[in-house]
Amino acid sequence: MRTLTTDVLVIGGGATGAGALRDLSLRGIRSALVEKGDLTHGTTGRYHGLLHSGGRYVVKDPQSAEECARENEILRKIMPHCIEETGGLFVVTPADDESYAERFIAACRRTGVWVEEIPVREALRREPLLNPRIQRAFAVRDGAADSFLATHANADDARRHGAQVMTYHRVTRLERVGDRIVGALCEDLRSGETVRIHAGFIINATGAWAGKIAAMAGLRINVVPGKGTMIAMNHRIVNTVVNRCKMPSDGDIIVPIHTVAVLGTTDIPVPDPDVYDITPEEVRLILEEGECLIPGVSRMRALRAWAGVRPLYKDQDAGNDRDIPRTYKLLDHETRDGVSGMVSIVGGKWTTYRLMAEHTVNLVAQRLGVTTPCRTADLTIEPSHDGAAAAPRAPARSQFAILASPFYMLGHRLAEVEADDSYGDLICECELVTRAHLEAAIRSDGTANLDDLRRDTRLGMGPCQGGFCTYRAAAIWHELRDGATHTVGAPPATALLRHFLQERWKGVTPTLWGDQLRQERLDELNYLETLAVDRLPEATLDAIEQPRDVVIEEVV
Amino acid sequence: MRTTIVIGAGLSGLMGALALAEAGLRPLVLAKGQGATHWTAGTVDIWGGDERSPREALQEIGALHPHHPYALIGAHAVEEAIVRFRALTEAARYPYVGGLDRNILLPTSAGALRPAALLPVTMAAGDVRLGGTMLIAGFRELRDFYPPFIAANLAAQGMAARGVYLTIPPAFRRREYNPVTFARLFDNPAFCSDIGRQLRAQRGDATRIGLPAVLGLRDPTGVVAHLQDESGAQIFEIPTLPPSVPGMRLFALFQNAIEQAGGRVQIGSEVICGDGRDRLLTTVWSEAAARRQEHRVERALLATGGVAGGGIRTDHMGMVRETALDLPVRAPANRAAWFAPRFLDPQGHAIYTAGVATDAHLRPIGTDGAVVYDNVTVAGALLAGTDTVRERSRSGVSLATGWAAGRILAEWMA
Repeated sequence: MRTLTTDVLVIGGGATGAGALRDLSLRGIRSALVEKGDLTHGTTGRYHGLLHSGGRYVVKDPQSAEECARENEILRKIMPHCIEETGGLFVVTPADDESYAERFIAACRRTGVWVEEIPVREALRREPLLNPRIQRAFAVRDGAADSFLATHANADDARRHGAQVMTYHRVTRLERVGDRIVGALCEDLRSGETVRIHAGFIINATGAWAGKIAAMAGLRINVVPGKGTMIAMNHRIVNTVVNRCKMPSDGDIIVPIHTVAVLGTTDIPVPDPDVYDITPEEVRLILEEGECLIPGVSRMRALRAWAGVRPLYKDQDAGNDRDIPRTYKLLDHETRDGVSGMVSIVGGKWTTYRLMAEHTVNLVAQRLGVTTPCRTADLTIEPSHDGAAAAPRAPARSQFAILASPFYMLGHRLAEVEADDSYGDLICECELVTRAHLEAAIRSDGTANLDDLRRDTRLGMGPCQGGFCTYRAAAIWHELRDGATHTVGAPPATALLRHFLQERWKGVTPTLWGDQLRQERLDELNYLETLAVDRLPEATLDAIEQPRDVVIEEVV
Repeated sequence: MRTTIVIGAGLSGLMGALALAEAGLRPLVLAKGQGATHWTAGTVDIWGGDERSPREALQEIGALHPHHPYALIGAHAVEEAIVRFRALTEAARYPYVGGLDRNILLPTSAGALRPAALLPVTMAAGDVRLGGTMLIAGFRELRDFYPPFIAANLAAQGMAARGVYLTIPPAFRRREYNPVTFARLFDNPAFCSDIGRQLRAQRGDATRIGLPAVLGLRDPTGVVAHLQDESGAQIFEIPTLPPSVPGMRLFALFQNAIEQAGGRVQIGSEVICGDGRDRLLTTVWSEAAARRQEHRVERALLATGGVAGGGIRTDHMGMVRETALDLPVRAPANRAAWFAPRFLDPQGHAIYTAGVATDAHLRPIGTDGAVVYDNVTVAGALLAGTDTVRERSRSGVSLATGWAAGRILAEWMA
């Protein structure tokens, strides 16, 4: 058994965990992070990608609105390469209560959420597909965030400051001595090895899974995982975030993110964050609601559907689960439960992840006697250059005006491909993933399967959903990785190929009709008729460099 | 003038058009785009869904699946279509080998072994029964072919195989490559000679060499012979992901034969609707970029494909439609029943069995069994009641029903 000693152990590799890790490391606190899957494998990698202006919560949840408005400006400043400046609109459709608009404006003023009413004509000029019968339109500072890139950027910055990141490590036990938690036992899911981590303090940043972790120490946290289902349309039907101007409910927002637009979302309580599925009724509801914003959207091509689980914290008798505040809650188990050595951070939004981390680390630093203040709101996170992330590379930046923008732009990858004349090297044509991107991602530490490559590069996330690139990526994986680990028997890459096809299948089945069904049949022709991957021999299980016990549910 | 119309330019439409053209009916083939020939491996898969030989499967299918297209037309009609197809390919000096007695197992670009009944002679040396050591050779520039991966999977199945990359001679380098750009390179004898010399140097103890199926568009059998001379080993092609060069060769060969027999192939004309009376289709309309065109119809062969080809279209409410003539469709009733949980489920996904039901003369019928149009026959993947991808019978069903539908239509008395 390996052992490791650290000042602070962060459990959870989503936005909040990675944000806390960066905060700790910037304050000079020795720290490590464990995550049972890949970074962003949980809720962070399954959300719609909205950088909240706060507008969505001004009426119902003003505290959350204020937090979002402040953090929105901070994130634009510290991680511009992860955020696209799309702007947002709140529109009153014929189906909406007109009186809400006045309450909305007043609440924006009260909470400090920037808002400006624009003429309907102007809104329709910006977004030509918008319902021409909208009655009013309000511009806000919504944006689109790349949550994969942002989480990696935080983790990489933390590593540069000495922190450790351990993916595919699952906590199996919290070690408790009397009323103090002193560490954790983890299983390395790739080697099967047990790792004992002695920690001065533990931050439970596992979101919807926080109750499961707390229970290992005999503590009770009432997390209500709220499932949100989203549908990605195959192109950017809007370039602005578009919201219905009404109380938040199902299917009332469209977020343009990279090459697609995401329709969202539902909010359905689920008993277990690891077990849920997407029903045809949910998909139909989201499309039908989407018709109010974009007439005809239900006849456009949907790419896939997925669901994430919100880490909603219920500490009193909230009625409807949508009434649970969207703000976050820091649980100090010492004052709350009389057990020291661990805090849990639950609730919140992606947009407030940095604030949640700051608040959490303030308490931890105080307990550890560290007085260095938080600097995460002021220090810019430099784009990672080691991973295969979408950040533009420095030399190309000077050559193209578009790249001089501090914000992430859709055209960055295209500009890069044009600059290098590397069309011939595109492995995933839909998402413009080149061989160089892919090889860097395969070689990077912690990458265990093709789904990890997808989160790193967007491989397989475009219209063809892996129809061509799955084969190419598996074969390149074989050339770079299997040579070292594989001597005899079927290549592990074969198992990864089949695993990835199955993961894509789960994501697309809820939206398979029309052109997307046609595409899927072509993928079948490729993989069954031409390649016959169903007839390939299975790799033996212990040869597969893949987590054995992680069941990956829905995928983005 | 009333005309003979074939709708669709995949294997079934082309085979049907050939039958009509040879009967002197001068068919006009209307298709939205290139047919499924361009997507697929270019072999003829009659039956590979189980261990039976294609001949056994054909003889037994009627008992188990009386509505299967093979059962409707009968084993004899399948054999007749194969004979005609082989004669066609031989005349074009691109002969297909094999037959109904056994499936030949051929390596795929993933290193799997795929059953095929008939295959172009350029793939024949891939037959696993030939034994010996295989060399798999490709090019780094071709994104759809990875020799080390293919060889490793073949080795895992007990076949001696090794994978290598070749170098494109400087004079022939391009900016961008796909299977078609490579096929054009192989049309050049100087390029072939250089590749042949590299193969000889890399050959080692290998007696046969697998290359991606990009060995020329003009004279592939000549290219294979040339490479065999230079390398000293047997050469065989392995099909790649689309665009399929063997499929393009087939399309060209059919187009020539149809046009020489008096027919015409018009790509870029999507048939969007039809009209008729008294059980006769009288008119179809096609739409191209510039205008809508009316075609008066005497007889029509419908071969627009299934879900992949675009002959069957679905929507989010669970509707399933036939796209060209709006014929009745047989399909699973409920969208919830369309899919199995596993992508590679051997039973397949129910929605892909959706299609147009026909009588034994391949004429479309409604739910009551009554014929919709007497002067229309249906062929290929549009036919209801079978998932030919899971059966590994897709090109076989297309070829056989295309020929049968063309013959039936030619003999129909107006």
